[in-house]
Amino acid sequence: MDINFQPIIDSWPFLAKALRTTLLVSVLSTGLGFAIGVTVGILRTYGGRILDILLGFYVDTMRAIPLLVVLVWAFFAFPLVVGYSIDALTAGVVGLGIHLGAYVAETVRAGLTSVRRNQMQAALALGMGRFQAIRTIILPQALIRMLPALGSLLIIAIKDSAIASVIAVPELLRQTQIVAGKTFRPFELYTAAMLVYFALCYPVARGIDRVYRRIAHLGSS
Amino acid sequence: MKFEWSVVWSSLPRLLDGAWMTIWLTVATMAIAIPGGLLLALLRLSPLKLISGAATAFVEFFRATPLILQIYWVYYVLPAYFDVQMSQLSTAIVGLACNISAFNSETFRSGIVSIRQGQWNAGLALGMARWEVFLRIVLPQALMRVLPALASTWVSLFKDTSLVSIISVAELSYVSLQLRAETYRILEVLTAMAVLYWLMGYPQAKLVDYIHRRYKVAE
Repeated sequence: MDINFQPIIDSWPFLAKALRTTLLVSVLSTGLGFAIGVTVGILRTYGGRILDILLGFYVDTMRAIPLLVVLVWAFFAFPLVVGYSIDALTAGVVGLGIHLGAYVAETVRAGLTSVRRNQMQAALALGMGRFQAIRTIILPQALIRMLPALGSLLIIAIKDSAIASVIAVPELLRQTQIVAGKTFRPFELYTAAMLVYFALCYPVARGIDRVYRRIAHLGSS
Repeated sequence: MKFEWSVVWSSLPRLLDGAWMTIWLTVATMAIAIPGGLLLALLRLSPLKLISGAATAFVEFFRATPLILQIYWVYYVLPAYFDVQMSQLSTAIVGLACNISAFNSETFRSGIVSIRQGQWNAGLALGMARWEVFLRIVLPQALMRVLPALASTWVSLFKDTSLVSIISVAELSYVSLQLRAETYRILEVLTAMAVLYWLMGYPQAKLVDYIHRRYKVAE
């Protein structure tokens, strides 16, 4: 078995650009997913029964349908519904974000409901508004408790950005495939890509663990 | 734009074949990944540094890299460089099983270490051997505790089987993408695919919620 890393060195600028796209897709889809998730989580917890059922349907649908299906549908089918085409990057970010949002929403809801009811009652008794109580009393405690789960979701977002390769978003996996196909060096290319993803995800996982161990006591009540 | 839904009805048998393959892949992978995960968990708890280190490396590696890339890797690298010839279906199951085993091992490990030391001591005091304490006292309790987490992994796995469409395993996504290319009825076929996944996945998601409520750990 001969190993030749020349193709990686030769196509380095191409792959470096792909890595930047992976980071961009991860950051944007995480931002979108967390924005959707926090909103949906709060509305499901405090927004009353009808909102809970409607948003619960969204959350459970995303938990039931594979990300690949969401992405493929967003990129190929959605343009036919609205009548204009969207580029792969947008479809990828939106698909990833909507899918991730459901999982974030579940985490947020679990975190909020883990803070005991008495705390809300105490806040209301002190004359705070509901929103104020959520923002200043409940959410800070809940956020700390949610941190490990949200950290896993961040890592899942980075890993899932690779699935956007299926709709030809020019991210790391997609461009690795192109180079591997051109140079007939799948072993070197795919292994290198694997190590890059590991180098991205593993430190994030360990970092979040360490931060959480530091601040876990702040979330206990 | 006019939609032609008849194409969905005429290709329904193929879609259902695909759906069947999706279910089959999920069951087959889980059947390997439960013993596989348990084995990895035990290896990680081994007192021998070499064994526990190797198992830890395997688990961390598979958990920190994308499954879709793992599938590509198994598909392109194993046959070309290590002279392992496998059908696409076996490749898919190997890729999925390695990944899910890694996740299951963390689940099992957390379950096993969550059983208090006192239970071990009590078992040993009763004259049981270590493996007996493990099999008869610790493991049954650990399994009950990790049931909700296993159920969640089950649903993730069900969804992740769609990724083996990239190596042409004829499960629901692959069949649908093929039909899309054959019929050009993109919206109809892709919507049918999403609906079929929903019909299968939604009850599973609800069942997971039920299992979480029913078997929640309360100490």
